[in-house]
Amino acid sequence: MKRKLVSVIMSMAMVACVSLPVFADDAAATTELAPNDKGAEELTLWHYFDASADAQAIIDFCNEYNALQDAVYINPTYVSRQELMNQYTIGAVSGELPDIGMVDSPDMASYISLGVFEDVTDQLGDWDEIKNFYPGPLSSCKDADGKIYGLPQNSNCLCLAVNMDALKEAGIDEIPASLDAFKEAVEKTTDADQSRYGFAMSAISTEEGTFQLLPWIVATHNGTKTSLSDLTAADAATGLDVLGGFVANGQMSPECVNWTQADDYNQFCAGKAALAEIGTWHLASIKDDVNGAFEYQVALLPTGDEGTSSSTIGGENFGICTGCKNTEEAVKFLQWFMSAEEEAKWATQAGKLPIRSDAEPVYDYEEDGFKMFQEEMNYALARGPHAEWPTISEQIYTAAQKVFLNGESAADALAEANAVIAPILEANPLPEQ
Amino acid sequence: MAAVAKQKHRGKGIRRENEGYAFILPGVIYMILVVGYPIVYNLILSFKDTNVQNLAKGTSVFIGLQNYKELFQNPTFLLILKNTFIFTFGSLVFQFTIGYLLALFFYKKFTLAGPIRGLMLIPYMMPMAVTGLLGQNLFLQDGLINKLLSWIGVGPLPWLTSTATAMVAVVIMNCWVGIPFNMLLLISGLSNVPEDVYEASSIDGASKIQQFFRITLPLMKDAILAVLMLGFIYTFRAFDLMFIMTAGGPLNSTDVLGTYSYTLSFTQYQFSKGSAVAMVLFMCLMVIGILYLILIVKGEKDE
Amino acid sequence: MKNDPKKNYRFHSKEGRRNLTLSVIAVVLGLVFLFPIYWMLQISFKSDMETFGKVLTFFPHQFTIDPWIANLGDKNFLESLRNSFINGFLTMVLTMAFGIPAAYGMGRYKLKGYQAFLLIFLVAQMLPASLMLTPMYLTFSKMHLLGTFFAPPIAIAAGSVPFAVVTLRPYFKSVPVALDEAARIDGCTTLKSFFLVMIPAVKTGIITIVTISFLNGWNDLMYTMTFNVKPEMRPLTANIHKFQSKYGTKWNCIMAYGAILVLPVIIMFIFLQKYIVGGMTAGAVKE
Repeated sequence: MKRKLVSVIMSMAMVACVSLPVFADDAAATTELAPNDKGAEELTLWHYFDASADAQAIIDFCNEYNALQDAVYINPTYVSRQELMNQYTIGAVSGELPDIGMVDSPDMASYISLGVFEDVTDQLGDWDEIKNFYPGPLSSCKDADGKIYGLPQNSNCLCLAVNMDALKEAGIDEIPASLDAFKEAVEKTTDADQSRYGFAMSAISTEEGTFQLLPWIVATHNGTKTSLSDLTAADAATGLDVLGGFVANGQMSPECVNWTQADDYNQFCAGKAALAEIGTWHLASIKDDVNGAFEYQVALLPTGDEGTSSSTIGGENFGICTGCKNTEEAVKFLQWFMSAEEEAKWATQAGKLPIRSDAEPVYDYEEDGFKMFQEEMNYALARGPHAEWPTISEQIYTAAQKVFLNGESAADALAEANAVIAPILEANPLPEQ
Repeated sequence: MAAVAKQKHRGKGIRRENEGYAFILPGVIYMILVVGYPIVYNLILSFKDTNVQNLAKGTSVFIGLQNYKELFQNPTFLLILKNTFIFTFGSLVFQFTIGYLLALFFYKKFTLAGPIRGLMLIPYMMPMAVTGLLGQNLFLQDGLINKLLSWIGVGPLPWLTSTATAMVAVVIMNCWVGIPFNMLLLISGLSNVPEDVYEASSIDGASKIQQFFRITLPLMKDAILAVLMLGFIYTFRAFDLMFIMTAGGPLNSTDVLGTYSYTLSFTQYQFSKGSAVAMVLFMCLMVIGILYLILIVKGEKDE
Repeated sequence: MKNDPKKNYRFHSKEGRRNLTLSVIAVVLGLVFLFPIYWMLQISFKSDMETFGKVLTFFPHQFTIDPWIANLGDKNFLESLRNSFINGFLTMVLTMAFGIPAAYGMGRYKLKGYQAFLLIFLVAQMLPASLMLTPMYLTFSKMHLLGTFFAPPIAIAAGSVPFAVVTLRPYFKSVPVALDEAARIDGCTTLKSFFLVMIPAVKTGIITIVTISFLNGWNDLMYTMTFNVKPEMRPLTANIHKFQSKYGTKWNCIMAYGAILVLPVIIMFIFLQKYIVGGMTAGAVKE
């Protein structure tokens, strides 16, 4: 019997090994990473691009750079975001890190503080193109003393996706432009018979939830914009109160507390939500995913007074990791990767927004959508940079979940969050925006 | 024959004992090498104040029991400690009771007893990660469980979107994994109860229920305690199930010591606090482990 | 109750009717208990449309294998499958190499302080993975084991070696002393009798350990995720976050992924069911 067991395991393993090359060729319809023929020094780059568009783009860009010069060979490796964060955290203790690492912009400050990234002020300080970078994304690559540890690579923000058919059906002609109009639209487009909610967003207990919740908190009400450092201000709770009302009235699914951004986007595309908060990167696939089922449009997030909007800046940075084998060359790669020309190319190919003013991408799909996101960037808030951002972030999504699930008043929930956030910001304030 | 051989080679006893150590030692050394350092590492870290601000600077200092003091004053930690015990006892009670009933049933001899109780082991053999995903799906608002409940006029229940019911859902999934494990171990416990005891008692006119409480239960005491202890250890340190199914949410309602120590260390970068939580978990299990050891050593002396 | 297992049941006899009734009840219990497995499989054959449909269906109305293709067509899928086997296999080897001799030593010899040794083995089962990650990473980093196939199994085996010791010890204890004394008299050395007499004598127990330790390696998520980032070296379980973030609520794809992970387990189980059941019941409880 033991022999039988061994043979079962062995034969399964054999099937796996033998069929490997055959199938691998089939699957390789897309471009692969070109090998390091020139024997150049290899620099590893870790990233978490996993949408089909950007996963392909990173390989194409590395291939292009590797062909362009002989000094180094950039080897990109995909590591999911969650694991990448673990790797940086453990790497901070063990020192085992890649040469170049991608990081979600609000996390960068913590990793800089943990010593994951190397100070490259010497290499980048006098680079004259740096003035063309937008200050918001660039600030996340710097520490409190203004030292620089990497460069932003792409940015994005959040907008409102609108199911135009559902809106028309509800007898609304105009896309809502204020919180009051939005509230009305959500009420009217909710249709239990079609199991359609008025609104979908992600309020999950991770950074993604905070990302989507922030616009509704830092909104402009009666001419005043709420600041994160004072969540007990008069109108600070208005937006969260409205969202809580949606959940209470069955206009937004309480499952939003378990939804990632991919989930709320899927709900919209499946016609199960008339309005949804979506990110720039979704434009690359929205046409295929909606698949002609309804007309859709992208609009500014109506978070407050008529004519105002607020959003959150997202995006990824690339930092030079501590112990990088060749800092000079790694920085050179970043300078090429984030040059105006490559930025524009990347933005088009991967469905992102560029991080510098002189990059002018020409989108050949969803032009109106991209225009809207570009405009929304003007009203978008950068998260941090702050080394204790994860703790601040936890307070934001916890407050929202208390309102959505426990029916706590928005003002109380934010006051509790403020009790934790205020002392942190008093010790180390957020930069001016 | 064996006894004679032993007496003749009394001098060999010592050598044979050395032989015994030689067999055990590689395993012991392996365990100490792989597991010993992590324990010491965490213990030391839990007495320091290492966090995101001072890790790279290397300015963390020893602060004694400060982390532990702070933890036990922190309402979130106390909630999580409570969750861990609720999860453990909730799982144990149901998986043990149902497992026991199934054991009583499948202990009976009939054609399909073997194959079906074998197939019922599949949930126990599955990766916890997959169990977690499956749980997420089953307990969706418009998922299978609510559908079934609607047939009997109950619900829909909010399950994973309510702090009141999320833990119930997680416990149900964990029981699904634990029931077959309990069932199997208890079947073997049952087989230790000699048949003639039953025969004697049924002549005395004892009812089935009396038989169960007066004969079966006492005779299975050791087996039952062992099953409960092992179940306690495996359940108390749970991580994968919550990590995938609920990520500890909503609002920490399914957070347990395992997931909380992970969140502290890997999301909040409060390394020393994370280690302190892990050490609390370890200490609780240590107590149970020593109890277990006392139990089996006692059992062997009785033999 | 002392039935002869070889007895041929006939349905018209009283015994036969009892057998039939019990078997029917058992089938019903089994179906209820394993329904979630069916649920997983049926979702994995549904189209996106039906998965997101407004009505919950109990079997795929539009049968499709697209979700399976989405998984199986992944560039690294077969590599991941192979790596899962390697992970399981190496965990099994380590568990056998360290667990069996230790179980033998503790079962066959009267040793002073064996309680202390037993405690060491027990304690190791009590550690949550989160407690081990960083320090183990440091050790493996110093030993240059990161990014190799060895790091995850070494960590995983730290959990399955104790399981082997606890489970196999009673087996070795129950082997009659006469058996290895006889081997000795025939001129066998201790080692020879260990390999030629004792191991074959506890075959059932060993098959249990082989299976469980293989599954421990196959099922592991945390260690493998942390100690191996090279995509060509990662096993199937490590893809879970990739699939989760990629698909969101695309349940059909997620369930196909789950089914792919579970299928080898089920196949192996059907082959070995009798031995695993026997091994597990005889082991742990007699402790």
